[in-house]
Amino acid sequence: MTVAAAKTILVVDDEADVRNFLKIALLEAGFNVITANNGNEALNEVKKKKPDLISLDLVMPEKSGVMFHRELTKNKEWSKIPIIIVTGHARDDVGKADLKELTMSGPGIYLEKPVKPLNYIAAVKSILNMDTSDDEKGAAEQVELQNQLKNIIDEADPDTLKKLKELLNKKKI
Amino acid sequence: MSSSKRKSIPRRLTDTIYKTLFEEVPFCVAIIDRDYNVVEANEKFSQRFGNWRGKKCYNVYKKLHRPCDECPSEQVFEEGKVIVADAVGVDKEGKPTHYVGHVAPIRLKEDGPVEYVLEMTRTVTGVKSWQQEYQILFDRVPCYITVIDQDFRIVRANEAFRESFGDVLNRYCYEVYKHRSSKCPNCPAAKTFRDGRVHNSNQVGTGKKNQDIHYAVTTSPLMRSGGKVAHVIEISNDITAVKRLESQVIEAERLGAVGQTVAGLAHSIKNILMGLEGGKYIVSIGLQKNDKQMISEGWEMLERNFDKTTSLVKDFLSFSKGRLPSLKMLNPADIIIEIVDLYKEIAALSNIELKAMIPKKVRKAPLDPDGIHTCLTNLVSNAIDACQMAEQKGNEVVIELIDNRKKLIFQVTDNGSGIEYDIKNKIFTTFFTTKGGEGTGLGLLTTRKIVQEHGGKITVESEKGHGSCFRMEFSHKRLLKLFEESDIIKKKNN
Repeated sequence: MTVAAAKTILVVDDEADVRNFLKIALLEAGFNVITANNGNEALNEVKKKKPDLISLDLVMPEKSGVMFHRELTKNKEWSKIPIIIVTGHARDDVGKADLKELTMSGPGIYLEKPVKPLNYIAAVKSILNMDTSDDEKGAAEQVELQNQLKNIIDEADPDTLKKLKELLNKKKI
Repeated sequence: MSSSKRKSIPRRLTDTIYKTLFEEVPFCVAIIDRDYNVVEANEKFSQRFGNWRGKKCYNVYKKLHRPCDECPSEQVFEEGKVIVADAVGVDKEGKPTHYVGHVAPIRLKEDGPVEYVLEMTRTVTGVKSWQQEYQILFDRVPCYITVIDQDFRIVRANEAFRESFGDVLNRYCYEVYKHRSSKCPNCPAAKTFRDGRVHNSNQVGTGKKNQDIHYAVTTSPLMRSGGKVAHVIEISNDITAVKRLESQVIEAERLGAVGQTVAGLAHSIKNILMGLEGGKYIVSIGLQKNDKQMISEGWEMLERNFDKTTSLVKDFLSFSKGRLPSLKMLNPADIIIEIVDLYKEIAALSNIELKAMIPKKVRKAPLDPDGIHTCLTNLVSNAIDACQMAEQKGNEVVIELIDNRKKLIFQVTDNGSGIEYDIKNKIFTTFFTTKGGEGTGLGLLTTRKIVQEHGGKITVESEKGHGSCFRMEFSHKRLLKLFEESDIIKKKNN
């Protein structure tokens, strides 16, 4: 079993309230936490000490999430750091393309703001292959399921959606 | 030529002269007697109409077997005066030929009866068919054509025009085009009468069914003998359909903007919810641990996000405010001075110098003072934020007013952090904030909207790390037009 205290999470977000919130949630779960305001600061932090996981916002001043990720992947060692995306722009024009680039090239999981602390911790733990409490397990499964569903629905063509609906209707019977 | 000299010309010479004249004159010449017989004709006549000897004129000219219904020669025999008439005949190859004839009486005795007539005819078939082509062109060309005289009366109008505007001959153009009782201001035809040049303009007229007709008109001078413009030809294109499409596009854009706005609003709300969620969580952890500092930290987070809801609602209301700016004639410099007063100290707190550059002579312009105030507030507070984020020091924000012949320009320049290229492309179209918790993301969208409502445009030049320059450009002409229109609407509403 991996111990949370052995793990360091880098939280990158330009909103102080979000940073604070995620930091406290992670601290409560027993993680070490570093924070950064934007992509530039985050790169500096990674240079100082390689974190075990990066919690990343997408739209930020100075250096956006996707630009930060591009630089990160240039370094072989850093490119392996798992990333969880926490964004409010998952579905709008500002963030959609960036999110796609990121989910295609590495981190598979994203959370859409607003996030619940339980879901957030569960998602972090699941990426790090850590044991979770029953509550967290449930939340993690829910997050996982939600993500899968979102991905399927996002990529599905109308025909597939129709079939899906038919299947669901059958289940009701 | 004196009579004594004429007498000196030998008779043979005069004979030759008349014979040469008879043959070489560029007309078909024929002599007809009272019984319609062609008694003499020149070679040109034979070439055009064929053999004439022993034939009646109606047979030769028109291949008929009885006299024409309207015979000009008969008239000349009766009245004894020269007349000019045109007719359509048939040439020797059986083709129709248009000709104009000069018919003159020939008396053998002075004061005696007219015994013959001399018919000199010239074919005008080429001219006629050209005229027909021109007539068809004039009538069928898919635009309105009118010819107006110096009193602004319509002397000619083509079919397309008559179809849309009704029967209009001899009526005043302003009456017909616009149902007015006096000349239109900025009349392009009047300009053409004055300077003899071509003028273009867009106008709105009223059709015979009282419908609005938008048209783009070109006025060209029609000069006759000498420099004076006797008539003006007005050629207009009906652009009503184009105008309709244009307004549909604007409406579609507006709906698109509403869509973007809703998406942006959703994002702002998500951020606030995230803050509320965080505040709630931190308060509950603080309560669990009986940690007062944590409770107050969480509580502050809740308060901040409630405040954000308030400013979001305020921004949103100002964004969705009515589409027509309420324009007042004012000195644009006054607004800039107000803004500088408002922000000077806030800027100074962060060691930023806020300056205004206003030219000595500024014309008054019709602007919505609240709207422009909002725009400048947004741009200046953005510029101050950009300076605060900048790595380099010695920051300044300059508000500049440029008033040239055509345009009124407000320019806000800073040497702050600048904007990343990929964000620069999005700032006016989608609203979002990169200012952490500070902004609602509506500022630039609202600014662009207000500028567009003034018929202006907003552009940005920016270089990452060096600063930005936002430019709001307004055309004096557009502003005045909007001012006139809003005046009309006000009067209507009153």
